[in-house]
Amino acid sequence: MARDLLMALTIALLLGAAAFFAARMLPLVRVMRRARPTSRLDHWPRRLGFMAGQVLAHKRLLQMKMSGVLHFFIFSGFVILFIDIVDAVGQVFAPGFNIGPALDCVVDIFVALVLIGIVLAVYQRAVLKPERYHGSDERDGYVILGMIAVIMIGIILHESFYPFAAPLLFHVRPGLDPWGFLGYALARVWMATGLAAHPAIAETGYITGYILDIGMVFAFLAYLPTSKHLHIFLAVPSIFLHKTRPHGELVEPLPPEEGMAIRSVADMNWKDVMDLFTCTECGRCQAVCPAHASGQRLSPKMVIIELRDAVRRELAGEPPVPLAGGVVSAEELWACTTCGACQEACPVFIEHVPKIAGLRAALLEDGEIDKSAQKVLVGWDRQGNSFGQPVRKRPAWAKGLDVPIKDARKEPVDWLWFVGDFASYEPRVQNLSRLVARLLQQAGVDFGILYEGEVNSGNDALRMGEYGLFETLAQKNLAMLEKAQFNQIFTTDPHSFNALRNEYRKLGFERPVRHYTQAFLDLIEEGKLNPSPLNLKVTYHDPCYLGRWNRVFDAPRQLLERMGIELVEMPRHGANSFCCGAGGGRIWMEENGVSDRPANIRIREALSLEDVNYFVVACPKDMSMFSAAVQSTNGEERMKVIDVAELLAQAVGLNEPVETAAAT
Amino acid sequence: MRVAVLLKAVPDLVEELVLDEESGSLQYDEMSYVPSEWDDQALEEALILKEESGAQVTAIAVSTGDVDTMLFTALAKGADHVVKITGDFDASMSNWQQARVLSDYVREQDFDMVLSGVQAIDDVDGQIPGLVAGFLNWPHASVVTEVRMGGDSKVLLRQEYSGGLVAEIEVESPVVIGVQAARKPPRYASVAKVRQVAKSVAIEEVSAGAPAGPAFADIQFVRPVAAGRAEMIEGDVDAVADRIVQILADHNLLRRA
Repeated sequence: MARDLLMALTIALLLGAAAFFAARMLPLVRVMRRARPTSRLDHWPRRLGFMAGQVLAHKRLLQMKMSGVLHFFIFSGFVILFIDIVDAVGQVFAPGFNIGPALDCVVDIFVALVLIGIVLAVYQRAVLKPERYHGSDERDGYVILGMIAVIMIGIILHESFYPFAAPLLFHVRPGLDPWGFLGYALARVWMATGLAAHPAIAETGYITGYILDIGMVFAFLAYLPTSKHLHIFLAVPSIFLHKTRPHGELVEPLPPEEGMAIRSVADMNWKDVMDLFTCTECGRCQAVCPAHASGQRLSPKMVIIELRDAVRRELAGEPPVPLAGGVVSAEELWACTTCGACQEACPVFIEHVPKIAGLRAALLEDGEIDKSAQKVLVGWDRQGNSFGQPVRKRPAWAKGLDVPIKDARKEPVDWLWFVGDFASYEPRVQNLSRLVARLLQQAGVDFGILYEGEVNSGNDALRMGEYGLFETLAQKNLAMLEKAQFNQIFTTDPHSFNALRNEYRKLGFERPVRHYTQAFLDLIEEGKLNPSPLNLKVTYHDPCYLGRWNRVFDAPRQLLERMGIELVEMPRHGANSFCCGAGGGRIWMEENGVSDRPANIRIREALSLEDVNYFVVACPKDMSMFSAAVQSTNGEERMKVIDVAELLAQAVGLNEPVETAAAT
Repeated sequence: MRVAVLLKAVPDLVEELVLDEESGSLQYDEMSYVPSEWDDQALEEALILKEESGAQVTAIAVSTGDVDTMLFTALAKGADHVVKITGDFDASMSNWQQARVLSDYVREQDFDMVLSGVQAIDDVDGQIPGLVAGFLNWPHASVVTEVRMGGDSKVLLRQEYSGGLVAEIEVESPVVIGVQAARKPPRYASVAKVRQVAKSVAIEEVSAGAPAGPAFADIQFVRPVAAGRAEMIEGDVDAVADRIVQILADHNLLRRA
């Protein structure tokens, strides 16, 4: 009789929970179906392999030790949970069913691990309270941890009473099972206290344990769709569906009639929508965001949460609120440097930056943009540069070189140097440009530039949401590049590097592009430049658009090694490098709400390294940002910001009177 | 309420003005042109009026060169209608002539208000709004920083005066207003939006004859000749100090005890 009731209850709970789950998930599926297309099923064997590394080996999650380990415990417990469900339900439906001592043992081991994980998680939330949780739904976190704990307790409870309740409920007489050691230990307690001898207590204990276990599993299922813990279902597919197009490409090629603007949910692609519901609010993105660290209102996590909640409200029948400027404030959106640290940290591979750029595009369509940045956009449209300078002054830096630079518009060259705005117009960086030219001349490279024919690459315009301007600029450059004869493109600017390498593809341009750190390394390997050891101790700052977005981490480091330079890494380096704060158009915007500039934070990070007096950069914007930052942090005595090219010039004996080494 | 905004293209001062030193004439064909920044302010104020009180905004330009992008940009920003006045005109057309052509068009239409930039780099004395008002025989206010609708076809204006005074003026429409600055910085029109507007909306073209009237017999441009030069004092602190003392002594500005 009691067994019949248990069976009926199990089936009712299963059907109820499944129906409830489906009913709550279907609207999300419908939203995703209304969203824009994106192709995410190509290269599936590669996707599977990638997924295995991230899911089974927890690659990203383990970058934060404690969180990664506790997540691994709880995650693996969930896999084990399925064995327990088979065991528990099997016992009810097929009396005498047994999964065997080995699996019993495994279940108990993982129950223990999950409980340890939960204790660690509660410790982290309640005691350590990392800042990254700020803004997350903490109650939801505790509810879920509580539910999991209840399931674990239920497992052990019904397991422990099973030997005593089974004869009464199922008319089988299983012996005590020492392999299921937790249940066994508790069973011993029941025997020692005499509780096991009372049929009513044994039955109640078993049924309570069963309901806590199986009942809570179903309750969990029903609860998930409105919880951030939906990631239990969505994280694995989301990782499988990760972006495989070039990492540095911000937006996929757009159909001509559609802009990149995200005004409503339907303007996102379906993976964007899925991202919103995959977010676990772990805040790893918030912890690495330079805008957040500088005190601005932006947190990549909150952008995702705000968008998700907006979708939920719309599903609940509320009138839609404009996403850009309404759901996510203009202040948040314009604070982003598009450095991509958030995406690099996200364990479920959410793409924050394209969403932010799309929302910016919507603001821009309504004419809403920082006024200094607006001037830059207009300047790009009129003069092709961000300095408000005449077109004819673009090649002015090249005057005064002993050997004039070839005009790649007029004669064939081996290397076509795409100079970029900063290297062309910024006085301090102009010196560097001349130095690079002399290095190339010394190495005997046949190179040229486009002179007045070059305009800004459009990389930053695109990231400010100005797709049309990006296209206009790109087409101007492409018209020149198509006419010019060259074997490869060489650039000193990571932002141009990214545009030429990743964004111009959508306009049909695919030619080899190399950053100067890569090219100079080759010249050394080929014996065309012979640096003598400099015997310096330096640290190196990975530019976001060279490192994170284009994965060029090794070339600059090898180049330093070839110059006999000892590299001391900052705590945040490589893919975890910390942005200077200039990207995504930030360099031209007002510093509203900035209490501590990212560049200053970064310089202090470098100053914490002992005996390091050189801060090596490989990006013209970094030169501007960090030169200002060493001044404002009073670090001038200790730290000199120096470009890789300056070091190389010293190493190959090119005298550069402008640059002398700081006293070490 | 129908608002006309007068737009004009002016040489882009970021690039160099091309001057033929011999003949003293500007080489109009060799220069690049941008919308006059004061006209941008006038357009912005008109668009704010539209948002506030539902005015209908028409942007008008005389075709002294390529003014299409400027007009499409006005549409992209929110103007309801754009008009290009065509004829045998070029970039050398005088402000008087432009004002005549513009006022001839405005007179035929049913506008309640005309906004124009208070001046332009080639109209530093702000002739256009004044002349248009004169030709139309409408009242005219200049150096205005705010335009609002009052009741009964009244228009409220704000004008800035020297010495920190602001005048609040009530005027009966129709009226011509020279705008110094809008209440907010001009909005941005994205390239894509301008392009999209250019594809979907047509510019109304109205032809006009060359206006007869007073004109300069001749105008010659020259670059100013530097009258004096600043001296940059270089060297270390002592050298600089010595030089300053020397200069003061030379000008008899030192009083020795």
